[in-house]
Amino acid sequence: MTTQVASPQQQRDLAAQPSWWERVNKATVAMLGVTVALFIGFGMASPNFLTFGNMSNLATQVAITLIVAIAMTFVITTGQIDLSVGSTVAFVAAMTAELLQLGLDSSLVIVAGLLAGLFWGSVNGWLSAYQNIPPFIVTLAAMSIIRGFALLWTEGFSVPIDRRLFVAKIGEAEFLGFSALAWIALGTAVIGGILLSRMRFGRYVNGIGAQEESVRRAGVNTRRIKMITLMLTGLAAGAAGILTAARLGSGSANSAEGFELTVIAAVVLGGTNLFGGRGTIVGTVIGALITGMIANGLTLMGVSPFLTPIVTGLVLIAAIWINLRGRSLAQLVSHLTKRPT
Amino acid sequence: MSHESTDPQGGDGQGGDTLVTLEGITKSFGAVQSLRGVDLRLGPGEVLGLVGDNGAGKSTLMKVLSGAIRHDTGSITVGGKQVRFHSPADARAEHIGIVYQDLALCDTLDVASNLFLGREPRKGPFVDRAEMHRQAAEMLSTLHVRVRSTYQEIGELSGGQRQAVAIARAVSFQPKVLILDEPTAALAVAEVRQVLRMIREVAQQGVGVILITHRLQDLFEVCDRITVMYEGQSVDDAATADLDIETLVGMITRSNTTTEEAA
Repeated sequence: MTTQVASPQQQRDLAAQPSWWERVNKATVAMLGVTVALFIGFGMASPNFLTFGNMSNLATQVAITLIVAIAMTFVITTGQIDLSVGSTVAFVAAMTAELLQLGLDSSLVIVAGLLAGLFWGSVNGWLSAYQNIPPFIVTLAAMSIIRGFALLWTEGFSVPIDRRLFVAKIGEAEFLGFSALAWIALGTAVIGGILLSRMRFGRYVNGIGAQEESVRRAGVNTRRIKMITLMLTGLAAGAAGILTAARLGSGSANSAEGFELTVIAAVVLGGTNLFGGRGTIVGTVIGALITGMIANGLTLMGVSPFLTPIVTGLVLIAAIWINLRGRSLAQLVSHLTKRPT
Repeated sequence: MSHESTDPQGGDGQGGDTLVTLEGITKSFGAVQSLRGVDLRLGPGEVLGLVGDNGAGKSTLMKVLSGAIRHDTGSITVGGKQVRFHSPADARAEHIGIVYQDLALCDTLDVASNLFLGREPRKGPFVDRAEMHRQAAEMLSTLHVRVRSTYQEIGELSGGQRQAVAIARAVSFQPKVLILDEPTAALAVAEVRQVLRMIREVAQQGVGVILITHRLQDLFEVCDRITVMYEGQSVDDAATADLDIETLVGMITRSNTTTEEAA
């Protein structure tokens, strides 16, 4: 039979990077098209939409969602979900305001806020990755518990933050026409993108979402990776909590209601597979832009602000529908609620 | 390929010396005695077929040899020294590789990422993707594995290509013993040929291959020797050249046994 060894040229062909079009996530490209269409649509419907001022405004509005959505991309890519991020944002926002009222220095409060987020993420991660409780159940319970603590602490009141404090100034700071929030979100996206596509961690996150057992047999500690992804959403929600308090100038246990839905919608819209195995950070940025743009555009067009949650919900359903790619919703539910391993 | 296996026991395998010897292996799961005394030997460069009906203990035996489960009594000798495996890592350290039926690949990762899963080449903190794909292409061409590109996702490959990638991955760990569990089940005819050819190529490099399969025609095509298991015991061991398919079926089913077998 043919026993010739492949020539070096053939080997190079084999290892040649395929074209951009072959490598790219098709769902993301479709959503990029939707983004452009929305830009043009809102641009024509409202003359104020395509101004630099509004674009800068949009970036700020999207920033907090995006920061958490980047981390959520990792969680969803491993085939997990985190429903507790909204509650963690509220908890940390309330905590930030409360600690500042106690007279703690801003730098300490920021560290404490991030650690609190990381703590809740670790609890979620440990229970789901090491105790084999489905993350859907763990984070659903955590969602109630974490907000409960925040309500208990603040007794439901909104706690004001002194405008002269450093934390409050973060919410108003601007560089090159864009808010500090927008820059932080951009930085998070860049780090997330590198982590997901250029590092071993990202390979394993994708691999776990596809076939966890295969990754485990390759000698990777898959439980630890799954726990770390949930710690990332916790940490990101902590950062988002501080920024929410900074921007609003107060901390409330009632903030960020339904936030997890916006975040998940952004991730799923971008093309990250809800069943895991395929994650895209660029897609998440696009997804976050779409959800933000809809809210922003509708407001500029002068429709009732109460229409926004309705539209966001509809967008989420549409996103999941597209994302299922031939699989049924029942399969998704059983995937999200099954016991790990 | 050189083997530093100095063999004091002196098997009479094909290569003259013996790579692995199993003697009197037993294993019970509670009240169920799954292995009741199995003997097996394998020489370098030899392809050994392991056959037996469902429940004969083939898979259990291979899990013992690959360190996935621990046997109760009996001895495993690898390269002339007695070993006892407590984990798959122990078996890997003795250069025993296994390709399970489910292949242990990730569908959404590309071919190169699968070949290097868990040991990706790095440049600083980053995965060196160019290097990874270059090495992957080299691995695949040495074994004549046909894929369009190392950037292809595993999920896009045919069953035969997936099997070939899984074998290439196992071979890249430079095993002395390679265990293949039903590598040709559910493959198209042309793909079976491809996989069998690959098995021969691996054996030509001096690797001892143990092939578990239900497809008896495959055994006659690639195996030097066949070991038959029946109800947890190794009951027959014969050179393929001395067998025909009816005799082998008789050995597996023990339907017309005339010889008395001592385990």
